[in-house]
Formats: sequence, C-alpha cells, structure tokens
Amino acid sequence: MAYSAEISRGNPSCLAFLIDQSGSMNDPFGAGEGNQKKADGVADAINRLLQNLVIKCAKEEGIRDYFHISVIGYGARVGPAFAGALSGRQLVPISEVGNSPARVEQRNKKVPDGAGGLVDQQVRFPVWFEPIANGGTPMRQALGEAKTIVEGWLNQHPNCFPPIVINITDGESTDGDPLPASEEIRKLKSNDGEVLLFNVHLSSQRAAAVEYPASETGLPDQFAQQLFRMSSALPSYMVDIAKKEGMNVGEGSRGFVFNADMVAVIKFLDIGTRPSALR
Amino acid sequence: MDAHAQAFWLPKSGSTDSEYEDAFFPRRIKRRKGQRLRFAIADGATETSFSGVWARLLVSAFVRRALGFDFAPEQLDPMRTKWERIVHGKSLPWYAEEKLASGAYSSLLGVEFWQEESEGQVKRLWRAAASGDSCLVQVRSDAIVAAFPITESASFTSRPDLLSSLPATNGTSPFIANTEGQWGCDDTFFLMTDAMACWFLKEGEAGGHPWAILRDLDTEAETSFSALIDSLRRECVIKNDDVTLIRIDIHG
Repeated sequence: MAYSAEISRGNPSCLAFLIDQSGSMNDPFGAGEGNQKKADGVADAINRLLQNLVIKCAKEEGIRDYFHISVIGYGARVGPAFAGALSGRQLVPISEVGNSPARVEQRNKKVPDGAGGLVDQQVRFPVWFEPIANGGTPMRQALGEAKTIVEGWLNQHPNCFPPIVINITDGESTDGDPLPASEEIRKLKSNDGEVLLFNVHLSSQRAAAVEYPASETGLPDQFAQQLFRMSSALPSYMVDIAKKEGMNVGEGSRGFVFNADMVAVIKFLDIGTRPSALR
Repeated sequence: MDAHAQAFWLPKSGSTDSEYEDAFFPRRIKRRKGQRLRFAIADGATETSFSGVWARLLVSAFVRRALGFDFAPEQLDPMRTKWERIVHGKSLPWYAEEKLASGAYSSLLGVEFWQEESEGQVKRLWRAAASGDSCLVQVRSDAIVAAFPITESASFTSRPDLLSSLPATNGTSPFIANTEGQWGCDDTFFLMTDAMACWFLKEGEAGGHPWAILRDLDTEAETSFSALIDSLRRECVIKNDDVTLIRIDIHG
C-alpha cells in the first residue's frame, strides 16, 4: 500500500519548501486587512510550518531526524533561502533546523485558562526567514531546482515515505507555464509512492479562504486554478485523518489552499502514536 | 489465589532501551500471592515528550491502588503534579518548551483478579479498566474468551484516545472503558501494548494460535521474545513500535 512507509531516523523522509520572494509579495495580503504584506504572510507561513515540524520531531532528549528539509527561495535569484547559520545550505536535518533559527522572537499566544476562557501566554517564536520581496517570479526554475534536490534524495533513500514539496506563492509565474515542471516533480517516486506537490496560494484578493478543494470550480482566479491543477491529490490516508480533524475534505481533494495555512499537513505525517486529543 | 506473571519488552527497532516508552508491572518474573492481585501496562505516545515518565506514573498508581477503575480526575491529579515536578524546572530549548506545553499522553490498562466465596461456591472474578489501545486477552482451552478494550485488529489506529498529563486537555472526562469477567484455573491472560495486541488479534482472526507461541516464550521450549519480535518485524506482520507483553497464569 502506498504512503505507508515508516518515517523514522533509520528511514527518514524529505520536505522541500519553495518560497516566492518576488517583488509582487510587497502587495497587501487578503486585500490589506491588518496591513500585512504577502511577503509577511509567506514568512509567517514558512516559519510556522517549520516550527510545527520541529516540535513534532522533538523529544525530551532533543530533535529526532525524521525529516531533512530544503527551502528554496525564488525572486531576484533562485537558491537556498535559510537565514542565519543555515544560510546557503540546501538540505538540512530537522535537528539542525530546530537548533539554528536566525533568531527567536517573543510572541503572545492565547491558551486555555482551564476555566473555559483564554489567557495570553508568552511563547518563543523561532524565525528562519525574513520577509523578502524583490524581482520576478521564476516558479518554473524553482520547481526544477526542487526536482533536482528530491531526485538526489530518492536515489539515496529509495524506500522512504514519499517526499513532499510545498510551494508558497502569490501565484503568478514570470518564467513560463509552471504546470509541466510540476508534473515532472509529481512523476518522481519512492517505492512507497509518488512525490507529493502541494501549493499554498497567498493572494491580495478579498476572497474567502479555500482549503483542499476537489475541483477548481469556484476558485477566485486563473492563478488559483493553475496552482490547483499543479497540486497532487491528497492520499486517501490523509483524507481520512483530515476528516477526523473535522476538515471538509473528500475523495479527490487536492493539496492546495487559498489564503490559508497548511499547518494541518504536518499532522498528516505519521511518526508514531499521536493522541487523538493533541492539537 | 496465586499468579505467575512474566513480562517481556523490546524498544522500537532503531531506538535504544532508554527511548522505550511503555511501562508495565510486574517488572520481573513474579509469583504473586494475595486476596486481590493487580497488574498494569501502559504505552506513552511517541508524538509527545516525557510520555514514558507519564506511563510509568500511571502504572505505578494503578498497582498501588492510588487509581481506581474509573481513572477519576481527582486520582489522576496527584500523578499530574508529580509529572510536572519531574519534567519542569529545567532550562529547555524553545522546541522542548513548546512540546512540554502539550503535555504527555499514555494509554493505561489495569486488571485486578480476586476470589469470592458465597454459599460454598468459589467465584473467580476479574475486572479491568482501559484508556487507549493497550489490550487484555483471556485465553482458555485454545480459544480467546475475552479481548478488551479492542476486539478486532482492524480497530487499531495511530490516533487513539489517551490519558493526558494536563488536566485542561481531557482531565475532566478521559475516555475510559470497563469490563469484568470470570477466570478459570487454566486460563492465561495476556496484557499487550498495541503493536503486539494487533498482531495477536489478527493471528487469531486468521485461525492461528498466537497464544501458543507466547506461552512457550522463554520457557524450556526457548523461543526468545526478541527473536520472535525480530522475525515478526522482518516479515512486516507487526508494526515497528515499542512492544510489551505480560503473560499471567492464575491459580485458585
């Protein structure tokens, strides 16, 4: 059965993130509510994804290397996009990612007070990426770069849980049609199944968030439709988990979200017993 | 009444003994005598930290009778305080601190055996409570008499309901299953964490006699537990997980 390979330190998998750093990311996000720029939204999205991934792999003795991580930025240039000590690194074990954020901010988080209310709690928020907005959107080149990295990984780890590539963008490629390049990625496979390509579309459109749709009908623009077509269908085991989490998904749901985050995907990765009550 | 109990355990392949997060009682081969005898097994969740500590606290509380069959919140609270005391107060990196905030989770299965006499008749009784997917199977005359709380191999998932070390999470209403039954002098009880229990039930469903294999473990017939688990893992018929088994033979 596909997508059932164990994810462990002996049989790790790979996650590659593609980050749109083009000039258009200076535009407001979600029609400018809260004055947030798309570049801020992208930085928040990737920092949050990595934070959740690191926490997932953390145990009392440290971080277990269940995953190796690549982050490719694309804008004025295409290449590794970690800031700080990991700068220039193409593929980094998750333990090194967790131990080497560029900086750690203090943020407020609402937590249950045990009596039905919420209270502010100070938490540490690691930052690996600063918002960047500069140049065109060479998405095709970035997808090609991801293909090279994932191909190299698969040569060395043929039995791994299939690598996942997550592309975070405002959708408008400036170096040609990205669809063929996305198909090249989705054709790659380990002995456990095809590589998964998911897309996060952060737009300036004042349109409602969409999560894991099964059809492009109703998506707000041609870029959203294009990214939908580039996205892999969620494997059926992910659909089952998402349903149990109360998400509105079904057969044919794709790994695509519009003006929403994709942190739920981290929950879909099975590294061992996960309590049903854990959020 | 006396019981002969023997425990077997093995960490996940690729993990060290110190990373093993199941817990069980009794720890060694033990002949136990008493009016009422308790045994327990627990499985700390991989995705939470310090879950082995939490599993051990739960097992210990149950066999010391600090925990009843309803796993009542007011009885769990002292264990939670103890867990907090053990794991907090250290300077931790950001991810360990965040992880700790989610608490630890563990299954728990506890069983008690006793005898009652009324009108010259001896009744041999047992009672069990469980939260999560650690299981008890009672075997008599080459057949399964009872399986608890999971009765079919298809019902195991990697996302069970478990007991949390944080009261705010599910402390007020943890999901608890209860059952009771009668034991006979030739019965064997097997307490197992989920990977082994799933294999056991699946074998039984396919017409096999897994209890016969487990009865011979480390006796004169000498099939060692680790050799058995290694071979089951190689054949991919058991999940690669921490594995724990307590085999209990009860006599009147």
